[in-house]
Amino acid sequence: MLANFNFRIIFEYLPLFLNGLKFTFLISLVALALALVTGIIACACRISGLKFLKYPVIAYIEVIRSTPLLVQIYFLYFGLPTLGIRVPEIQTGIIALMLNSGAYIAEIIRAGISSVDQGQIEAGQSSGLNYFQRMRFIILPQALGVTVPPLLGQAIVLVKDTALLSLISVMELTRSGQTMTSERFMPSEAFLTVAFFYMCIYFCLKALADWSQKKLIFREAY
Amino acid sequence: MMAFYFSRLVEIFPFFLKGLWMTTKVAFLSLIICTLIGFILGMIRSGNNRILKWIIGTYVAFARGTPFVVQIFIVFFIFPEWGLQLEAFPAALLAMAIMGSAFICEIVASGINAIPKGQWESASSSGLTKLQQLRLVILPQSMKVIVPPLVGQYVLLIKDTSVVSVIGVMELTRVGWVTVVRIPEGLMVFALVGILYFSISYPLILLSNYLEQRMAL
Amino acid sequence: MIEFKGVNKWFGKLHVLNQIDLKISKGEVLVICGPSGSGKSTLIRCINKLEPIQSGEIIVNEKSVHDPSANLTKIREEIGFIFQQFHLYPHMTALQNIMLAPVNVKKISKAKAEKIARQKLERVGLDEKADAYPGQLSGGQQQRVAIARGLAMSPEIMLFDEPTSALDPEMIGEVLDVMVSLASEGITMCVVTHEMGFAKKVADRVLFMDEGKIIETGTPTDFFDNPKTDRAADFISKILTH
Repeated sequence: MLANFNFRIIFEYLPLFLNGLKFTFLISLVALALALVTGIIACACRISGLKFLKYPVIAYIEVIRSTPLLVQIYFLYFGLPTLGIRVPEIQTGIIALMLNSGAYIAEIIRAGISSVDQGQIEAGQSSGLNYFQRMRFIILPQALGVTVPPLLGQAIVLVKDTALLSLISVMELTRSGQTMTSERFMPSEAFLTVAFFYMCIYFCLKALADWSQKKLIFREAY
Repeated sequence: MMAFYFSRLVEIFPFFLKGLWMTTKVAFLSLIICTLIGFILGMIRSGNNRILKWIIGTYVAFARGTPFVVQIFIVFFIFPEWGLQLEAFPAALLAMAIMGSAFICEIVASGINAIPKGQWESASSSGLTKLQQLRLVILPQSMKVIVPPLVGQYVLLIKDTSVVSVIGVMELTRVGWVTVVRIPEGLMVFALVGILYFSISYPLILLSNYLEQRMAL
Repeated sequence: MIEFKGVNKWFGKLHVLNQIDLKISKGEVLVICGPSGSGKSTLIRCINKLEPIQSGEIIVNEKSVHDPSANLTKIREEIGFIFQQFHLYPHMTALQNIMLAPVNVKKISKAKAEKIARQKLERVGLDEKADAYPGQLSGGQQQRVAIARGLAMSPEIMLFDEPTSALDPEMIGEVLDVMVSLASEGITMCVVTHEMGFAKKVADRVLFMDEGKIIETGTPTDFFDNPKTDRAADFISKILTH
């Protein structure tokens, strides 16, 4: 099986793969940054206690979590034109990823904030610190350590999610594999190479996540 | 115009239900297969055989490090080159099985490893074999730790069935995809698809939340 | 200085504070004791509104604490609270822990706050631990830093919620010593504790609570040697036998 593996073909198509890889990186980075902003805003609304902010955000999060990402992508890809909004596929894809990961990030941040011991908050209250001061000095610094590892986990998920954009013709890494397969009909060389690249990204991100897990956690000492 | 499309949607609603039924079939069969294989792999993974643990570890890394759509392509397009030619539905099940078992394996292994060593020690002191210790003492206790994330994983797997649409399985997402060509109302079509997915996922999510709370007590 | 007028509090169906009337004068050292669940911790937690009340009034320095229009920040500036579990901020050094509130609530300059912080650390005998993190300190040391943190705001009132209950026995003494020296300085102190030796030494008054009510009050000698109620006598005999 492996004796027939044609490495030369892979080198011939390397520019295509690298171009796809570049787009995968770019899309992942932009979508992740936007998703972080979305997640922070959504989380702030969620914990605000104001009903008109809280309930729409909860609905948004539950809808995202209960429906497949591919359906969300198709919803935007096929739906936006019917509203007269013409957006290039790559941007449609980024918006879908932003909304999807944003919901999960909102929940990750919320979990991080609730993980800070209630006693800390009471100590802050007792010295007269107001809500924003408690957030800034006591809660957020400690929540950070608990939040970063799952955020990196979500980053890994997001990179894999970008592969679905190949189905709406975005020229990222998976689509490079599809293109090579349709041109040369050598699916083994095409998709195993693609899989290899994804594994590299995965191992880098995973190493980062494991490292951050060790470094960033503060615990109350008794 | 919209009213016209809406009435057409109502007409072909049964088509969507058939798609939902196919999604349920794929999901149900996959979940059973993945759970069985996942548990067996998880038990080996938390054991002492270094070689087996490493092999399973590599397999899990592959399943978790590559996008599911790429794995589906590998099963559907590359396996035939190696001698295994499958039709769309069985190929979908195989791809789901490979991916889902890896995730469930990790959940089960963490659950088993969460049980304190003392339990193993007291079980072995009463003369039970390793397998008996696992089956009678450790596994029942680890179920408390395993079940909530397991249910959460089931929700993820149900959503992942949408990706098998790319190899032509006529499940719910593909129904939406072929419909939108003839009824170009993307919002309505995929809103309907979304609602149908929601109706099977959301109850499971509520169950998972409930189980997590129960476990934390 | 602190006054409870007809205060009632429920946790669901549980009546944790039952018609509490109490007056604490300026500079008084009050010890509150009683069995678990008697409501003693809840009582002092209501003084700085860590817990809300359902009826009655609590007045601190002529301000009504539970009035919705009350300036809670101002009220809390004048009250220091010491927790059983210390609750030092683990991501800050001892010095930073103590400086946080003076800088951000009283708006004192960082330089001045640092001076005050070092002073208070010296006061509790831990000036060399200024740059240590809570994780590097023993329980007794952490609690003393917590006391310094409370003192840094120059409060007129200090509340202690079982300050030594979470400590290993050999560290209780160092914390009680600090508290004894505070008592002689004229700060109003309310201490929930089981440490009867401390009560006998410095308390002006002892309060005994059970099931949400104040059962008996008196000077330490009156209370320990001649308890008026059976329940108080029972409690005293139980804690003194070990």
